[in-house]
Amino acid sequence: MSQRMTPLGRVVATELKPSTPHQFHFWTARDTPIGIGAIVRVEDAGRVVFGVVTDGFAYSDLVTPMHAVIGADGDPAAADLEPSQRPEIRLFTAAVLRQIPEEPVQPVPLGAVWLATDEDVVLALRMDAYTGGERPTGIPVGLYAAGGLESPVFLDCDFLLGPEAAHLNITGVSGLATKTSAVEFLLGSIFQTFPSHKGSVAALCFNVKGPDLCFLDQPATLSDEDRRQYARLGLRPEPFEDVHYYAPFKADGVNLNTLRTNEALAANTHPLVWGLREVLDYAEVVLNRDDVDAKADAFIDFLAERVVGRDYQDDMLRGKPFHVQSFADLEEFFRSIFDFMEALAKGGEVWKTHHLATIRKVRNRLSNISTRSKGLVTDDGAAHDLPWGAFADRSVHVVDVAGLDPLAQDLVFARIVSKLREHLERRDLGVDHVVVFVDELNKYAPADGADTYVRKMLLDLSERGRYLGLVLFSAQQFRSQVQRRVVGNAGTAVFGRMDMDELSTPGYATLSPATRIKLATLPKGELMVRHPHFTQPIFLKFPRPAVLNSREAIERFPPTIELPFADAVARQLRNLDRRVSTDAVRSLIDGRREEDVRRALGATRRERPADALAFFTACLGRRVNGEVVAARRGVPAVKRSDDGYGF
Amino acid sequence: MTTVNLAHLRRALAVRGLTPATVVPEASGGRSEEACIRPARLVEDERLDWHPVGDAEPWPGTLAFLDGVQRSQVLAYAGSAPIVVGEVAAAVRERRDRRLVTVLEERSLLAIGRPEALEAAGELPSDLRTVSLPTDEPPHPVRDLVNAARALDRARGALELALGERYRRRSDGWLLVDGALTESPRWAADARMVGISKSHATLPFDGADLDRYLRLPQGRRSSVYTPETRSLTPVCEWALRLWPWEGKDVFHGLVRVEVAPETATPEIADRLSRWLLAERAPLSTPDRRWDRLLYGIHSVEGYLRAGGSRLG
Repeated sequence: MSQRMTPLGRVVATELKPSTPHQFHFWTARDTPIGIGAIVRVEDAGRVVFGVVTDGFAYSDLVTPMHAVIGADGDPAAADLEPSQRPEIRLFTAAVLRQIPEEPVQPVPLGAVWLATDEDVVLALRMDAYTGGERPTGIPVGLYAAGGLESPVFLDCDFLLGPEAAHLNITGVSGLATKTSAVEFLLGSIFQTFPSHKGSVAALCFNVKGPDLCFLDQPATLSDEDRRQYARLGLRPEPFEDVHYYAPFKADGVNLNTLRTNEALAANTHPLVWGLREVLDYAEVVLNRDDVDAKADAFIDFLAERVVGRDYQDDMLRGKPFHVQSFADLEEFFRSIFDFMEALAKGGEVWKTHHLATIRKVRNRLSNISTRSKGLVTDDGAAHDLPWGAFADRSVHVVDVAGLDPLAQDLVFARIVSKLREHLERRDLGVDHVVVFVDELNKYAPADGADTYVRKMLLDLSERGRYLGLVLFSAQQFRSQVQRRVVGNAGTAVFGRMDMDELSTPGYATLSPATRIKLATLPKGELMVRHPHFTQPIFLKFPRPAVLNSREAIERFPPTIELPFADAVARQLRNLDRRVSTDAVRSLIDGRREEDVRRALGATRRERPADALAFFTACLGRRVNGEVVAARRGVPAVKRSDDGYGF
Repeated sequence: MTTVNLAHLRRALAVRGLTPATVVPEASGGRSEEACIRPARLVEDERLDWHPVGDAEPWPGTLAFLDGVQRSQVLAYAGSAPIVVGEVAAAVRERRDRRLVTVLEERSLLAIGRPEALEAAGELPSDLRTVSLPTDEPPHPVRDLVNAARALDRARGALELALGERYRRRSDGWLLVDGALTESPRWAADARMVGISKSHATLPFDGADLDRYLRLPQGRRSSVYTPETRSLTPVCEWALRLWPWEGKDVFHGLVRVEVAPETATPEIADRLSRWLLAERAPLSTPDRRWDRLLYGIHSVEGYLRAGGSRLG
């Protein structure tokens, strides 16, 4: 191995601080480029050892502070006037990253220490196993920088997206360009460098707060330094090309519940609307928080299997069959049961083995969903969903749930992930791998609290998703507050600027005090990465993501204020057909019931006809003019006479 | 520089019929002096006096420190005659921008013994320079060890002298020497060399003058005097109290400053004393002689000892 540079240090070992196979100490000159996180190389007698600096010490030959006081006559200013400066040591502790040869495992030799070069970094992080050869699997994650050197660092996509290991978890305080920025950058990197022999990949991101992920298709204004870093990593500084946004409606059913409502961005922003069928399949998600017991579960199963979406005939309830497809139909079905039970009066407390109280409870819970999730759940049963089975390679699907009720967020989350899983199991999603990004993981998979459906599902995803190509990229502010197995299953962990309180929790005990301090003071755009190939965490920097950040985006694409009903409908139609004018729609729906308009709009959206307005008009049907009903003439009173019988 | 493997050497000597030994002689660490009074002649004042020197002042210009170290151990006995191996080292460290850097360094390994003992040892490693002890007295192991220690002292002194000469050839800056300047006539005449003695085994006065000499207050110097015994290498000296001694010991913080006679004016003595006062800091702790050991000298010793021994 060539030694192109002069050594920067020398390994030292004493009885109290010996070298071991996993740790060594070395000293350097006072002016040294080495700092915490620097990768160094030790060479001696045919053995090469790579290490990462985890701690640093400095001290002089002063035995006790009292001697400094005596020497300066108690005057701190006089200490600077001492004619000779005491010698100082810069002593560093390094954790071994790799030894060559690997066997026999021996303590680090007392050799000279060099700063790692590009080639050294590749070897030290074992990237030689996956960045070279005919089928490389390296994904650029950032630049390792120390002492004026800068080396690209790659993750192994076999260990990031499966099948060897998978999942990525990011921890960091909010607002310091770690979590969202790192995911945006890494997704971009994956999309540009994911090797073709590994198949296709898409991403599905849940936008859980503000406009964080709402502008992934818009380019950022990058600095020259950012562009240089992209070039060094071999990446193009470009936004995502194929991005689709999904957001539920607001309660009015026509305005989208998202901050991406600027008309210029409407083309790829779609409504997310689900009907009864979609909700009932995941009833457990929304019901498990309450007091729904086994009896209620049994009744829900009855509804799901025998009533919803089928012709259900019960002559006791009514003569014609029920065809329950929407919440409105379901309400009618319940009404019939209650009417029937009321007619039975006393003794009528059980219908088909289900107690009336259970039926009432289920009815209340389900109607509560449609109330609390208004905008997401439609009464008319027609759904507008993600393109299941048609996910395109390198496509990003952002589901904006930021404005949703927590119950509805859980529902969205559970159903989408479950659907992804189902399709990946059947291999008919359209892509081989899907990265699911979930922020605020501590909310969905908390360390404490009830074992919710969502938490169980996330756990299952983290433990078994890699076999399917279903990969979880998750983020949270406090890793210690997330279910341990969910974060523990993440093969790759990224840490940005951390809170000291969080760093003092047991999960970080393996990090040296200096590493913890560095984590607590990390500047923007720097992070620490743990990856299965790296035996120690590595500090990296990464360029700004090439997508517009939310603050700039909101200024450039301010959200449209909530439109009046008619205007919102017109805009929805205009997304389908640019010729549609607001005035035409306004006059068309004037006087119509909003439910009818929404139903017609939903049908038009599903059909996507060439002439949207004509189709919409047809769906609305003929206007039924109000008819003035003449007052009914009363029956003339019977003339009174003495004859009480009228004769 | 190679290391002499003493274990191997002892085995080789055992094969030749010598008795290996490993003891470290009592005087292995440095010279020892007998306590005595050698009267001096005052060149300033009628009678010994105290002179306040004023506030400490930083030493101007280049300042270097010269010192040496020694260590030894018994290697073997040829009959009853010991063979001692010793190592002497000396260095000059110069202060540059408040930092001490080594500019000269020399190390030497010695095998010391009576000639017949050295002959019995046969061929010793080439790195070991043999030094024969005098044979004018019959062999006596204790006396031989004392003589070996003196020989080691002389070897160290010679090394220091050589380094001092070499330094003077390359620099005309101030050179502070640990000990006396009288080791060399050239040193004793050098106007920019200062000897600092920490040892007071030899005292220049007796009676009331001795009392006054030893009770010198902190920040003052004694009158300048010249030791009568140094006729070949005349120098001038004065005592300087670096640290208050009250409550500790009369020798606490007391050093003897030695300069060439022509520079021993009261003004120069005061100025040098002020400069030396500034050299009290940083303290030379943890050396137990920190009250008299200037940090620069301490640094040279530390450097030489940190270099490790070549006697493996």
